[in-house]
Amino acid sequence: MAAFVPYTYFQCPCSDSSTLAQSSGSNSPSSAHPDPDDGGIDDDSDRAFDPRAPRSNYSLYPLEYLLYCEDCHQIRCPRCVAEEIVTYYCPNCLFEVPSSNLKSEGNRCTRSCFQCPICIGPLAVTSIETKPDPNLLAAPDSASHSGPYALTCSYCNWTSTEVGIKFEKPNSIHAQLAKLRNGGTSRLTAKERKERRKDPAYTSQRAAAGSERESSDWQEDLDLETQFANLKLFYQSQLADPNSADHGLSSLGDLGFSSPSSLSRIMSIYTGGSLHDKKAKSRVGAMREALESDEGLQLADLDESAAISRLRQEGYDGTASTEQLLEQPPNLGEEHLHGRARFTAELRPIPYLLRTKRSKRCPVCRHIISKPEAKMQTTRFRIRLVAGSYIPSIAIRPLSLSGAGGSFSSSSTTTVPGAPLEPLKPAHFLLTFKNPIFETVKVTLGTPARTPGRFASKVTVLCPVFEIGANTDVWDEALKDSSGSDRDGRRRRGKGDEGGGGGSGGGGLTNQIEVGKIWERGRNWVSIVVEVMPASLHLREDEGDLPLREEEDVLEIPMFVRVEWEADVGGDEVGSAAHGRDSKEAREKRELAYWCVLGLGKIRRS
Amino acid sequence: MTSYCRPAILSPKVQQGESKQSFPHCIKQPCSFPKIPQGRLLKSQRKITMSSKRHSIVPPVSQSGPKPPVQFSSSITISDSALLTGTNLIAISSESVIHPRAKLDSLAGRINIGRRCVVHERSVVGAVGTSGRITEAAVTLGDYVTVEVGASIEAGDTVIGDGTTVGVGAKVGAGAVIGKHCTLTPHTEIAAGEVVPDFTVVYSNGLRRPDRRGIAELKNKGQIRQIDVLRRMIPSNPAKFD
Repeated sequence: MAAFVPYTYFQCPCSDSSTLAQSSGSNSPSSAHPDPDDGGIDDDSDRAFDPRAPRSNYSLYPLEYLLYCEDCHQIRCPRCVAEEIVTYYCPNCLFEVPSSNLKSEGNRCTRSCFQCPICIGPLAVTSIETKPDPNLLAAPDSASHSGPYALTCSYCNWTSTEVGIKFEKPNSIHAQLAKLRNGGTSRLTAKERKERRKDPAYTSQRAAAGSERESSDWQEDLDLETQFANLKLFYQSQLADPNSADHGLSSLGDLGFSSPSSLSRIMSIYTGGSLHDKKAKSRVGAMREALESDEGLQLADLDESAAISRLRQEGYDGTASTEQLLEQPPNLGEEHLHGRARFTAELRPIPYLLRTKRSKRCPVCRHIISKPEAKMQTTRFRIRLVAGSYIPSIAIRPLSLSGAGGSFSSSSTTTVPGAPLEPLKPAHFLLTFKNPIFETVKVTLGTPARTPGRFASKVTVLCPVFEIGANTDVWDEALKDSSGSDRDGRRRRGKGDEGGGGGSGGGGLTNQIEVGKIWERGRNWVSIVVEVMPASLHLREDEGDLPLREEEDVLEIPMFVRVEWEADVGGDEVGSAAHGRDSKEAREKRELAYWCVLGLGKIRRS
Repeated sequence: MTSYCRPAILSPKVQQGESKQSFPHCIKQPCSFPKIPQGRLLKSQRKITMSSKRHSIVPPVSQSGPKPPVQFSSSITISDSALLTGTNLIAISSESVIHPRAKLDSLAGRINIGRRCVVHERSVVGAVGTSGRITEAAVTLGDYVTVEVGASIEAGDTVIGDGTTVGVGAKVGAGAVIGKHCTLTPHTEIAAGEVVPDFTVVYSNGLRRPDRRGIAELKNKGQIRQIDVLRRMIPSNPAKFD
């Protein structure tokens, strides 16, 4: 079993129903019966946060995941920010794609970036070297970089020649590939298709083929595109044909799919309303369906013997997996899918899917809280208001008893970090709060005396109210340290710490755990002690206790953190501008309160 | 607590606010102002000590175990820090290249390396596996075989066919027979006794597919060129192993 690593998760207020209600302006009926026992905890805490509630799963994040809105003074999580796409780019060639191209050309790279259909590795364009003619006396290397090109995967050695695709030029592979069908035959364009229809050689060839077999059975193999074009042409001619009007059935046919009016409506959806003229609309009557392949009829080919024999030959390894099929981009040039098995030998190279860079907005005030630089090559951000630079981070370290006499040392020599906690034996943990902002902050902690859940452990925060120094210049600390026991050092050590005898950086001194005392303190950090009495995980099966659920043995403490500080009045705030008019030095009191969850350790199972 | 004072210029805040104090402790205790720890020497102060010869940070190769009888072609390239151990014959055919720190172990049987093979660094040819059986020919590499960095080929009638590439960190079990012109992609493992047919690519945790590129000859050509370069890069010392 992996060793347990203590963690801290912060709750984003976005999923909290009560804060949502408060922000919408209604007077929350909280604190009907304020609990006098909860010293530093304000009204919110009479409804303690339960980290094990199913709802909490979606609101707890590590500090690194959270953003902070400077205008709303609120934590924002990935779930509650509004995202906007800044740019689209190809992850392979890092080429930026304008959004107008995106609409016309789709969300794939249209240059020469392709993924292997077998193993999704990147494909490289290589020239297929033809064997040098031994009769020619030219240097063998001279002709190596001309001739047909193919896409090759350097990992699994797939090449596009396996599906019969070769390219004339080494650039603009995407455009070349779009014209090619598997096997190297080129796809017909609409114009070519029209011309072929008129070609007398083609029609005579068809007629010959038709007379060889029974004429009703014969059909041409149409690919998806040709079939659609044929069908479209047929229905257009039907709509234009005045003889197709059948007045006898007009009242019935008006409703069904076979009626021209409803058909023209459907067709107009796909063809952009070109059929939507009044002439067609006024004409009612049933029309016949397509009867031959020229008109777009494609009979399902139910003969699967070819696929079966191929499957026998190639085995299971020859068939494409679901993932491989899903990766395949739509290919209009391919044959109809009726009764067709999919083999790996038919997979086409995959153009790279484009990626996006996104900026994030606060959902409430619409201010941007994260904005990456638009250039692809840079990974920097123009704006990024991460919560880690606004709210104190909390680090957890087990504190172990060393020797006798109740003296403790914070070294981890006696306890293995991540070792399970003994039930019903008090354990101590050191919480280190680190202040990222340039003001001195006052922190007030609140925890329920017993953790919520089936196994209620007792929790005591020994020093729930303390101040953390400002995140000032690092040199300041060095200077203050050098001044030893002058007044600077005393001020930093804080009001509650004189009796503890603990020096800030001094080794060799023993700290004593005392209620209301800070354990250790530094320039912008404070360590306090939390005492927990882990509950016993003993289950009484005979009394109908359910077995231990997943992660239920982890000791998690919900903790309400309230941070107060005084900040310079921001110039851009309208409400505060009136305050700060009198003097530029005006300070304003700020407050931030949130729930977090401390995962301290696993309780040993009895 | 040891402390050393710093010039007041470093912190303008101190300069303004506490200039009256003018560091009284400086007077009390002897102040040695430029007391910068040794590690913080300025770049200009640091003496640049660079020897002309480049040294590897890994410990030198130590020849351990018995020295095997060898049968080298005169045209091979073998680094003197290659490791050849074992009791049976190690035969290397013409124009093959053995990189430094490649290990050839003939403890479990004879090792044959074909023509124009390249055995890269830290690869082990003839690793005595779990079976530990001793056979006539422990490992046989065909012609144009590449054994890449850190690959390991276990001993026990193992055969690697012509033109096959054994990828970085790949493992070939004892008695496996790899066909001609195969590619074992990095970190693939071939179980002991397995037979891999010719022109097979083993990739992605053991998936297999046939190689239909048809560039075996081209690959051989590339191998010749690579050996040409390596011959110039690796100082050869076959006399050491005689």
